[in-house]
Amino acid sequence: MEKKIGIINRQAPHGSSTAREALDLTLAMSAFNESLSIFFIGDGVYQLLAKHQADFILQKDFQPMLQMLELYDVEQIYVCQDSLSVRNISVEQLVIKTTLLSTDEINEYLQQQHQLMSF
Amino acid sequence: MSDSEVIKFSLLVTGNPASSQNAASALQFCEAVLAAGHKICGVFFYLDGVLTASDLINPASDEVNIPDRWVALATQYKFALEVCVSASLRRGIVNEQEAAQLGLQHYNLKSPFLLSGLGQLAELSASCDRLIQF
Repeated sequence: MEKKIGIINRQAPHGSSTAREALDLTLAMSAFNESLSIFFIGDGVYQLLAKHQADFILQKDFQPMLQMLELYDVEQIYVCQDSLSVRNISVEQLVIKTTLLSTDEINEYLQQQHQLMSF
Repeated sequence: MSDSEVIKFSLLVTGNPASSQNAASALQFCEAVLAAGHKICGVFFYLDGVLTASDLINPASDEVNIPDRWVALATQYKFALEVCVSASLRRGIVNEQEAAQLGLQHYNLKSPFLLSGLGQLAELSASCDRLIQF
């Protein structure tokens, strides 16, 4: 049986390259594993917030690459509802289709994974 | 230890060898795994962890040389030290072949570190019992 792999994104999209390189890793892993789940928690939800202007801070705008997730059949994309609420972000402001989960649900889903990578 | 008790570990190292504890903890964990008779499938370096593969790292003589320790361990126990190529090129870690292709005057990949793709991480993830990230 294929391993269930969870990739956790907890960092803001810019400030360090972590978010961008985590997305690179996710897209690459999706070619080898069809049981990927992606989690956006805490400041990680900012990665999904529309209208980044990364070029102003000399960074690559990697947000269009998020659209590739669907193309690569990564469909289990989970966002922490509480993280959105405390940051006053509504689901309509997110650039891709996601599933909202409560903190308890996220914990439950994380426990179901065989492996976790956290960025 | 019988074979059934041997656990196969793969390691994902993302910490900067000069400035993060992650890098040292990964090395210590790896040493402990092997000392206990378990197996290392391989170590994959990503993000700032790829800097571990620089042959130009030279800490002061009273500090631990983490890249040297990885090389010693990998040579003794015969496992691969894989370094993500795209993360490496971004950070100035280059092997002879890439340097020639890119027209660079120098290369600095430490032997026996290998530049490889993220597919290799997928391979290590699939083949191990436990994937541990530092």
